[in-house]
Amino acid sequence: MTTLSRARLRRLFRRETIGVDLAATFDLVGALLLYLSPAYLFPTAVALLYGESAWPFVIAGVTTAAAGVFLQIVATGRELASPREGFLVVALTWVLVPVFGAIPFVIAGEGVLAQPINAYFESVSGFTATGATVLNDFDELSRSLGMWRQFTQWLGGMGIVVLAVAILPQLRVGGRQLLQSELPGPTDLERLTVSIREVARRLWLLYLALTLTLIGLLWLYGQLGLDEHMDLFDAAAHAFTTVSLGGFSTEGNSIAAFGALVQWTIALFVVIAGVNFLRLYRLFVQRQPRAVTRDDEFRVYLLVLLAGSLVLLAELLTEGIYGVADAVRHAVFQAVSIMSTAGFATTDYTAWGPLATITILGLMFVGASAGSTGGSIKVVRHVLIGRLLRRELEQTVHPEVVSPIRLNRQVVEERTLQAVLAFVLIYVGLFAVGSLAIVVDSFRTDVGVSPFEAMGAAAATLGNVGPGFGFAGPFGSYESFSGFSKTVMIALMWMGRVEIIPIIVLFTRNYWRA
Amino acid sequence: MRILLVGAGQVGVTIVDALHDEHELTVVDVDTGRLSALSNRYDVATVLGNGASRRILQEAGLLESDLLIACTSRDEINLITAIFSRNLAPDTRTIVRTTNEEYLEVWRERQLDVDFMVSSELETANAVARIVGLPAARQTDVFADGQVQIVEFDVEAQRGTDEIVGVELREARVPLESKVAGIIRSDRMIIPRGDQMLQVGDRVVVIGSPQAAREWGELLSPATRRLDDVVIFGAGRTGVAITRALIDQEVRVRMIEPDRERAQVAANEFPTVRVYNATGFDPEFLDRERIGQSRAGVFCMRNDPKNHYAATLAKLHGVEFTIAVVHDAVSIDVFERAGIDVAINPRQVTAEEIVRFAHDPRTRQVAMLEGDRFEILDITVRPESEYVNQPFRTMPIRGALIGAIVRDERAIFPRGDDVLLPGDRVIVFTESSSATRVERAL
Repeated sequence: MTTLSRARLRRLFRRETIGVDLAATFDLVGALLLYLSPAYLFPTAVALLYGESAWPFVIAGVTTAAAGVFLQIVATGRELASPREGFLVVALTWVLVPVFGAIPFVIAGEGVLAQPINAYFESVSGFTATGATVLNDFDELSRSLGMWRQFTQWLGGMGIVVLAVAILPQLRVGGRQLLQSELPGPTDLERLTVSIREVARRLWLLYLALTLTLIGLLWLYGQLGLDEHMDLFDAAAHAFTTVSLGGFSTEGNSIAAFGALVQWTIALFVVIAGVNFLRLYRLFVQRQPRAVTRDDEFRVYLLVLLAGSLVLLAELLTEGIYGVADAVRHAVFQAVSIMSTAGFATTDYTAWGPLATITILGLMFVGASAGSTGGSIKVVRHVLIGRLLRRELEQTVHPEVVSPIRLNRQVVEERTLQAVLAFVLIYVGLFAVGSLAIVVDSFRTDVGVSPFEAMGAAAATLGNVGPGFGFAGPFGSYESFSGFSKTVMIALMWMGRVEIIPIIVLFTRNYWRA
Repeated sequence: MRILLVGAGQVGVTIVDALHDEHELTVVDVDTGRLSALSNRYDVATVLGNGASRRILQEAGLLESDLLIACTSRDEINLITAIFSRNLAPDTRTIVRTTNEEYLEVWRERQLDVDFMVSSELETANAVARIVGLPAARQTDVFADGQVQIVEFDVEAQRGTDEIVGVELREARVPLESKVAGIIRSDRMIIPRGDQMLQVGDRVVVIGSPQAAREWGELLSPATRRLDDVVIFGAGRTGVAITRALIDQEVRVRMIEPDRERAQVAANEFPTVRVYNATGFDPEFLDRERIGQSRAGVFCMRNDPKNHYAATLAKLHGVEFTIAVVHDAVSIDVFERAGIDVAINPRQVTAEEIVRFAHDPRTRQVAMLEGDRFEILDITVRPESEYVNQPFRTMPIRGALIGAIVRDERAIFPRGDDVLLPGDRVIVFTESSSATRVERAL
């Protein structure tokens, strides 16, 4: 297999030698798949518990393991050493894992998910913790399949590769590059004084602890009768998608199915999950509250959350749709949920006025913190770009002034700033291209999508937010989009999740050259 | 005393010049030219070789020496020389010159087994900071790690000084934590009593805390404003050290550095300092950035003529007070003749610092005023001294004045009922002719 692809690629690049070790890459991807297969045990158990068919998960699990073993047998590579292969591993992993994740949907054959494109869309939306769904009838969904959807978000939220780095022995070398490719945001791993494995381990430990806490809390609400709808199944299902900032729900009307207490609790955990996990670890485990409170990104994050909530609140109060208490709850919840890219909803915001709608679209571009489970541009990049602009203005008046840009009092390298600028430019570019593709395709296939709704869908998928506008709103479904539009959105979710650059470089010739 | 000196550069030569009369000197250097120039001028033994070599050190007579001074321009050579010396001859005291402030910090924490350490950059920075802090002073010096400051002021006819000039000292508003150590009137030194008064035309020597010294400056010269806005030309090690010292004094600092990388390093270190990547010779730039609005300019580029030119240009643009850091011994005269207000030679400052220590182990520091007519001594009091356990009120005055006591590393400014304890360090002001007598008495 390797010789084949090598030959093909060689022809493609006019007999130039390939500088990427494909064997090592496939070897590693195979290992990742193999280690993913035990994850199917969880939905299998759920299926058995509720007396549903466990076959879809058993088959999918065996297929995944077999594919992993096959890749490893075919491509026995050396240990992964170069950062170059890291990009390819991350990109491939995020294409292949949802493929195997979609198998149970197709085999179970329930409703719209029986179609492969819908199943893959749902699976990608799951693993990338986006939360855009093609489902329109949640009652048809079996318990086990519903839990699998939630569980994919939890697996993907902190990152499959991050998990692999934490536990796989063969990733001792090259793990740093992999982690940097997958971990959201420009977190500066160089400055960390612990090993990369330790970083990955801490991330997952905290992730697990947060999830268990939320499950316990929600379940307790149910037990104490504080929320009549909440049981252990719902508690686990929603904790998975809250901590991962995914946004899938087992309910058709998302978090609106629960009471105000559950809504506030979920909002709080969404805010926490939107903070840099490495800093959260220092706060919770190492008892260094300053790691969070003195963080420039954290302050701006809270500030934007507050500002977003207030704007929405003002809009809701002037419109007078809700009473004051409800308006506060909906405004805060929606601002938190959209900005952090979770994508839950307590109410259908597509019914809100234009100011609120534009605010929500704007918040989709903010994102959570670097090193969190959220998507989109991330607060720290906005902070850095703001400072870059301020310096630009200063230098038009004082051209000779040397003024380094600082983050948390540390000087940020110019190289990093360039990368941030490049990222945001490409991000906006992809958003524009994606919107255009969706609106043109919808016009061609006669699906009623306004340009604004197309922009909403592109922003919601690229930013891994989830719900958009129009029929793709929080209580709606992406099912009506054409196959081509869905493919575009799958690509957007994929690129948004790994922060674009690791994928874009694959399309440059220099990447493949020796 | 036998002294072994490693390094015959400018610092070494200045030390030799100060010590060759009273002490037996051996100088080690790798450069024959320097050594022969030195031995032509002074009666010193010279050894050709690397000071960081045990063989050379032994050849140069380390085992018979009382003091080793390592003052080459390279920190690590100096440190290794001192380490070898400590191993070979544990009783020989060591002095190390360094340009690295981190080494100095480590030494202060007693983690480096060296008896005395001097940093040119830091001494220069402190000298500049003292001038910037007290522009009205004729001369100023610090003791006890900067806790005690000695300042000499001119008493001039200025408006607003009537609370201190022409008033009996016991009535006058003398700042707390300070003492008038002496009044120099028509070339005669008066040790002041309560009924003395300052007159226009006097020079007054004050010992006190840095805060009190500043208050004296304001009292005697209310018209001279503090130099609270300084522009520094050159962001090399000296410029950076000066900037750090000035920031500590809450002075607004701007820096001009032609080298891109050094400007970047300085900008990275000082978030509050505006750093320009420019030459400082461009009138259009000086004009546009309103450099002339700075109250003082410090010129510490590597090249004396450049400093000279830049200082003159800055003066033309309106910088009132200029301080130049010069590298060539001759330049001090040139600079001061040309109208630069103060010229400081780091090597000379360093050499002076080393000479002070070399003088007498019990005397921590000696400063001279008025050329060498007056001395300020920092002496540890012997337990059997007649002054011990006496309150200051009853102490006889014999041509000397104790301005401050350093007890447990803290400075005390004594009043009438304070008592001198054995083991105290005292800062004494005296005429040079009585210095030996004072040392003996204490």
